[in-house]
Amino acid sequence: MSITNLLNNWSFYRNKRPYRGQYDLNRQYSEYKWAMALDLDVCTGCNACTTACYAENNLPVVGKKRFQHGQVMHWIRIERYWDEKMGEFPEKGASFLPMMCQQCEAAPCETVCPVGATSHTNDGLNSQNYHRCIGSRYCSANCPYKVRYFNFWNYPSTAWPAPLPDQLNPDVTVRTKGVMEKCTFCVQRLNEAKSRARTEYRLVRDGEVVPACVQACPTSAITFGNIVDPKSKVAMMWKNQQVDLYKDMQEKDNTVRGYRILEDLRPFPSVMYMERVRDMEA
Amino acid sequence: MSESGINRRDFLKVLGLGGSSLALTGCGNTDIRSGDELIMPNVHPEDFVVPGLSVFYASTCTQCGSACGVMGRVREGRVLKMEGNPESKISGGKICGLGQAAVQVQYNPDRLTQPMMKVGGSLQPVGWDKAMALLEEKTGPRSGINGEEFAFMTGAMSGHLKVLVQNYLDSLGSKNHFVYEALSPAVSFAANKQVYGVDMPRLHFDKAKLIVSFGSDFLGTGASPVHFAAEYAKFRKAPRGTLIQIEPKMTMTGANADRWIPIIPGTEGVFALGVANQLLKHEEFAQSVPSDIVSLVAKYDPETVSSITGVRSELVGHLAALLWEKSPSLVISGASVEGHTHGVQNAVAIQLLNKILGNVGKTLDGQAQSPFPQIAPNAGSFAALKSVNDGMGGGKFKAIFIYGANPVFTAPSFMGLRDNLRKVPFKVAFVNAVDETAEECDLVLPIYTAVEDFGSHVAWYQPEGVEITMQQPLMEKLYSDTRSMGDIMLDLVKQRRADEYKAWPDFFTYLKTAVINIKPAVKYADTDEHFWYDTLSHGVIQVDAPQQQIGSNFSAAMLDLPVTAEAQDPKFPFYLVPSERHYFRDGRHANCGWLQESPDPLTTIVWDSWAEIHPKTAESMGIKEGDYLEVSSQNGTLKVKAYLFPGIHPDAISIPLGQGHESLGRFAKGVGVNPFKILNPVFEKSTGELAMYGTRVSVKKTGESEIVVKDEGPVSTQMGRKLVVTLPADVAQLSKEI
Repeated sequence: MSITNLLNNWSFYRNKRPYRGQYDLNRQYSEYKWAMALDLDVCTGCNACTTACYAENNLPVVGKKRFQHGQVMHWIRIERYWDEKMGEFPEKGASFLPMMCQQCEAAPCETVCPVGATSHTNDGLNSQNYHRCIGSRYCSANCPYKVRYFNFWNYPSTAWPAPLPDQLNPDVTVRTKGVMEKCTFCVQRLNEAKSRARTEYRLVRDGEVVPACVQACPTSAITFGNIVDPKSKVAMMWKNQQVDLYKDMQEKDNTVRGYRILEDLRPFPSVMYMERVRDMEA
Repeated sequence: MSESGINRRDFLKVLGLGGSSLALTGCGNTDIRSGDELIMPNVHPEDFVVPGLSVFYASTCTQCGSACGVMGRVREGRVLKMEGNPESKISGGKICGLGQAAVQVQYNPDRLTQPMMKVGGSLQPVGWDKAMALLEEKTGPRSGINGEEFAFMTGAMSGHLKVLVQNYLDSLGSKNHFVYEALSPAVSFAANKQVYGVDMPRLHFDKAKLIVSFGSDFLGTGASPVHFAAEYAKFRKAPRGTLIQIEPKMTMTGANADRWIPIIPGTEGVFALGVANQLLKHEEFAQSVPSDIVSLVAKYDPETVSSITGVRSELVGHLAALLWEKSPSLVISGASVEGHTHGVQNAVAIQLLNKILGNVGKTLDGQAQSPFPQIAPNAGSFAALKSVNDGMGGGKFKAIFIYGANPVFTAPSFMGLRDNLRKVPFKVAFVNAVDETAEECDLVLPIYTAVEDFGSHVAWYQPEGVEITMQQPLMEKLYSDTRSMGDIMLDLVKQRRADEYKAWPDFFTYLKTAVINIKPAVKYADTDEHFWYDTLSHGVIQVDAPQQQIGSNFSAAMLDLPVTAEAQDPKFPFYLVPSERHYFRDGRHANCGWLQESPDPLTTIVWDSWAEIHPKTAESMGIKEGDYLEVSSQNGTLKVKAYLFPGIHPDAISIPLGQGHESLGRFAKGVGVNPFKILNPVFEKSTGELAMYGTRVSVKKTGESEIVVKDEGPVSTQMGRKLVVTLPADVAQLSKEI
């Protein structure tokens, strides 16, 4: 989206909400639309995914003080909740929620960027262009999931004392002061896989590429894939869980676990969560 | 052009030469000779290095004792990221955060890069030749040191480096190999040995319909967290198993339980006997145990159990009913059960449930029996520290080597270990970074990190067969003045046995010969060379070994449980729970930024220590989050911030281990407090292990307060939003899922 486009279609962007049928899965995404399914029943809250993300995506370690100021840069975080109806003790354990960019189809962050630094790619990712970003932080303010992270400091000069820069992933830009950043579904891995597939005249196979968090997860709680391919595991899981990318108020059987977080805000997230299960008789 | 001395024709010549050399190097790294000049391409790749492409090498993670097979992602000669090796049955291609942090150990800004020698009270850089000469002078053949006067203290060890350490001690005529782990499984091993005749049975989560875990944090710490996480995931798939966790402070495993039951520390065995009492009322189970046990168990009726354990009496019957209903089940115990004076009995009482329920042979059986006892793991113990400390205090040792352990940090202050260590005339530490123990040593030798070195490892928990995991360098050494621990050991062995070891110039050749010796056991058909390279490229050697037979011996004498946990002193009303954080363990990797900034799963606190206190207790004492508390035992006081935590018994205070370093590096030094220091001299009766959970403390508000830095927001619930939805297990239809 450019500013010209935004101004020319101002009333559309100002007033229109996405509606059923606006997006046609086959038309819009002919090859790839990356999506996730995350089983909260087997997520143990262990943080292997978050550490993997630090390693893969050159996330800076900000230190205690900046963490306290809310300047932590974890693209994926584990939220921990206690039950509201908890008595004296959390007898049903804790609830863990891995939260990363939901790669929304109608992303609230995209419409507010004054310079079009964040936009949708043709494989369904909500991309962030570091070069274009001017650091207005409107996107972060508008993100219902609070998964956008702003570089308040010049981390390249402080976060990696030598020789820690030797660990940095050369496939991923090290961001500098004043730009917004967020989970990319490890776009560098996706691009590599896509380009490899293209040279072999084929599409990326299911399971051929996964983001770092999916790869690390010791319980395999996260499934990742191309939802355009109906045979991909993630597409089958979404279908099985009766979650449709373009429905906002899903009507599903109450035995089915799939749902998307804050779906009623209609951002149409690309991450499906599966409900935590607890044996109430125990 | 002509002014610069180059005409157009020459310029084109150079261009053409450059172009053709580029084209040729692209075809096969060829150099071109032109007259007398050798023209080299700017990019001259090393073998196996393609600029821009990652290469993955198999190795072994040494961050904890699980020996997960891992893959290192290497680009342009640098290791960038650790990933799981799918061929390893232990890791199954997965990895935890602690394992990922191996690269931060490698590139740590506080790594020791050259040997240090104590001169005038401080460590000064010194060359290897001087360092080795000093070693020779103090411990070599002409030093006159005898085996009795020498001690070698290591952390848990397995594989061929362990053999080499043993050989070195043999060459000295010494039996003083002290294998010390601050958080060792020694009590658990002792209980299992009594009951099953083996150190550790193999557990089958996937076959169990119900797992009752008494304080075992199998998802976070302990035997093999990555393996057990995968097993747990299978267990949670249809037909979904139920997990019940009984412990004084909620661990990560407890947070994932279907039912979490808080209990007074040390009374877990009593609770288990109460459940046994209820189970034995079923006729089917009445014959399962000897009559003396039946009469012993009869004393533990629900009311008695409730008054001792602090758990509501109806839960005893409830748990018994669940165990009756969901068969086969699996009952396991963990650190909070074993860390008491009666730790072994506590654990045995819990294992009794497996016997009554007939789980032995179904959900737990024997591990494979390793055919290579020499490289089998030694998981270490606290008792080893005690003997070495006594020896040092008594002036018995003239020299001590310390590798893979940081006793000055992990030994409780009542032991006076720092002072005793100072009594040893010659102390050598082999380290990656100067820690508290190395600060005290006379010679500190910088060794390779795990990603620079060769090695072999055998985990003490083997899921299937025996897996020997191979460690190989993922990159060239980062610092020229560091050396391989194996190379140093080989040099030391050669001080006395040069002839026997002359065939091996370095640890690499030694390891290669030793590994090739394993070849017949795995029936490998090809040549030795092929076997070696195959082994390295796969990262694992799977040895098909016969299963250990396990018994199940119980007697009433093994179940002699005290009524209360430890002696109570009204001055110290609280139980101290020194909890093990899953990415910190005993604190040896605290100097990694990733680990410091990885929020604790339950409290979400970063970069700090904290004291978990139940909100009810806190309210009665007027304590709010962030208030500084003085937590005092008979052996010391810690000043630490309060965190109000509902997942803890109201009579307990929990402080996590691993922080409170005085050394080690910029990310660890001065962060938090070290609860090891205030532990009381309370020991497990039969093993002599330190009873980690046996310390009582008092809590006092200091009046100071500071914000607790954490990831959690101001509220700890979902505030009615549909963020994490919970579905009752009887409604969910997991069998219909993909």
